[in-house]
Amino acid sequence: MKYLTYVFRNARRNPVRTGLTVASIAISMFLMMILTSFFAAMQEANSATKQYNRIIVMNANGFAGQMPIARVRQVAAMDGVRAATPFSWYGGKYQNKRVLFAQFAVDADTVFDTLDEYKVPDDQLAAFKADKAGAVIGPKLAREYDLKIGDEMPLQGDIYPVDLKLNIRGIYESPRNTDQRMVLFHHSYLDDQLRQLGSASSGSSPTRPATGAGNAGIIFVKCDDATSTAALCKAIDDEYRSTDFPTRTQTEEAFGQMFSEMMGGLKDTVFWIGCAVVVSLLFVAGNAMAMAMRERTTEVAVLKAIGFNKGLVLTLVLAEAVLVAGLGGALGTLGSKALFDVVDISPFTGGFLPFFYVPWSVALIGLGVSLFVGFASGVVPAALAANSSVINGLRKVV
Amino acid sequence: MIPFKYNVRNLRVRWKTTLMTVLGTALLVASSCILFGLVEGLEHSLKVSGDPLDLIVLRKGATAETTGGFESKKADELMTLGGILRDADGPVAAKELLNIAVAERNSGTYNNLIIRGVEPASRKLRPDFKIVAGRDFEPGKGECIVPPSAARMYKGARIGGQLAFGEKEKYLVVGLFTAGGSQAESEVWADLKDVERNTGREGSVSCAQLRASGPAEFDQLRKEIEDGAQFLLDAHPESRYFESQADTSTFFKAAGTLIAILLTFGAMFAAANTMFSAVKSRTREIGTMRALGFSRGDVLMSFLGESVLLSLLGGGLGLLATIPMSLISIETMNTSTFASVNINFRFGPLVMGVALIMTLVMGVFGGMLPALRAVRMEVVSALREL
Repeated sequence: MKYLTYVFRNARRNPVRTGLTVASIAISMFLMMILTSFFAAMQEANSATKQYNRIIVMNANGFAGQMPIARVRQVAAMDGVRAATPFSWYGGKYQNKRVLFAQFAVDADTVFDTLDEYKVPDDQLAAFKADKAGAVIGPKLAREYDLKIGDEMPLQGDIYPVDLKLNIRGIYESPRNTDQRMVLFHHSYLDDQLRQLGSASSGSSPTRPATGAGNAGIIFVKCDDATSTAALCKAIDDEYRSTDFPTRTQTEEAFGQMFSEMMGGLKDTVFWIGCAVVVSLLFVAGNAMAMAMRERTTEVAVLKAIGFNKGLVLTLVLAEAVLVAGLGGALGTLGSKALFDVVDISPFTGGFLPFFYVPWSVALIGLGVSLFVGFASGVVPAALAANSSVINGLRKVV
Repeated sequence: MIPFKYNVRNLRVRWKTTLMTVLGTALLVASSCILFGLVEGLEHSLKVSGDPLDLIVLRKGATAETTGGFESKKADELMTLGGILRDADGPVAAKELLNIAVAERNSGTYNNLIIRGVEPASRKLRPDFKIVAGRDFEPGKGECIVPPSAARMYKGARIGGQLAFGEKEKYLVVGLFTAGGSQAESEVWADLKDVERNTGREGSVSCAQLRASGPAEFDQLRKEIEDGAQFLLDAHPESRYFESQADTSTFFKAAGTLIAILLTFGAMFAAANTMFSAVKSRTREIGTMRALGFSRGDVLMSFLGESVLLSLLGGGLGLLATIPMSLISIETMNTSTFASVNINFRFGPLVMGVALIMTLVMGVFGGMLPALRAVRMEVVSALREL
């Protein structure tokens, strides 16, 4: 402990060099935080859905497959199911532009029982249920486009050949790590328009209108408790196995996991870039430490001459390296955590990221990595200093 | 002017420091270049995708092939329009039907694959369509061909394997194809009739692709398709259609730019550190040079030159390190279609530009302060320094 002052003084005596090293590490760690949090935050938000005991039914062939709307009622009637709602991706355009906010056709009566962490005031919910063209939107979306309750929100069809004239009846509130830019509207409003279109144009195939009516997309199911989810997944899949549209049912967590795994190679690329940055930090920090030690050759010799042993010299140098790298790491990791906790960057990503924050686990791992960088970068200069010859060191004139 | 040889020799004498700095900055430059190489590959795949006379016909209002279905009857009528290029086999035009289905990767994870039901002319509508292994599929037999990247990645996608997307939708893989690095290289191709039957979507198509016989006919065709009462469809020039599909590329570009900027600062500080140390240990030399009559400008240029040389070494090495990357491709999800997209790393002007800019910025700005410090020294006290 008594040597701490010595270490601090040494770190401070070339403030430019220490400053540059700290800044270099801080910036690189800041970048690492952004890169790794992108996936980690998604994952954390996804794991958080476990507590809601929800399962998701989708067509076994994928998102493009049909899910007959009648199944929502069938599933809702099963034992252990509290509520179920269709969740159909509309993917429309707003103000005639492709947009990056999600629009889902849902069952107005059950959607907020199923997604019960999304809260809508009672009067707004009643108004939403009563208006067939009603919609409930997310708070971030409302802020971004300056939308208020009572406003109209026309959406133009992209996947579906029909347009929607929605009226905003409510604005939901939800936890921070959920999508706060969704538009939820009545499934029946979309479906009726598609049916009309189907009957207007000859109605070629009776079993399956070409317009895509009668499709629930996926079904969100709220279960009574956690123990029943696995059994229900199996029960639902068994029920529909031999139909025209077999299903794949999984917990909401597994569903989200599947989505994030689709990113595939991107994740690996980010990981390797992160590794390259860490290795280059080793060089940067190691170089700075080595330069510092070269200037202090005489000093180290003096220390040893007055009785400091090898181990102590080694420790002193290592401590300095860890201190400098740790300072940079702390600035980068905790700084980025604080920054993204205060500043919400989702509007600047055009909705690509519905939310962004640095999870504690990532920040602490980052801090750990920077301490490791300090330690590893200090090893060689420290060993050299510890093993340096006292005579040569004292003789040297810098 | 102080001879440049002075700087080269200095870097050589201090080789340990030089090497560390070069390796450090090289890795930082390479990291930034990797993302830009991916952007370059992605943009290339969108750019090469077609002949300027190609049109993609979608339902009015639809923005993507995956979502733009319309009636097959309309598409049949389209094929008979005058102005479409004709060759020995008939019009160069094709109806295509897209299905997106979940497929399992070898790693056990899943992604959505586009299965495109095509007609014979579809091959002519892609640049350099080639069968590179096995053979082309025969219509009506439930066969398919896949790009090499998908064959590597997905279960059952090798030649002789079976791609199963459900009870009814199964295809036998008979060949591997490439298409000049275009978007088609992320898709599974099968016969239009097979896909129609397997997905139960007889009577509708996702899009029609056609090539006009000349620029005048191109405009005429567009007008006819968009305004003709029997069609009421959108005819997008292929080049413009692919531009609108570049969402994913925009994301990569933004991410790459952010990474490049942050890492440039990181590398700049590292270079500055080295140069400060170089200036400090040569105080007496600088004093001597000034005493010999070299001007302040000479000394400034000399140290700046050394800094730029140092970062050029780092940048050059970083750039070299990305060359083997061109063998690498990554498979990820296209954020606008939610379907698998294969991105080949491509070494091109964008990558070189990024490396050059990063190198110059860190060389010049990283060397500026140390060089100024060298210039500001009093000759007498510098000479007195040990």
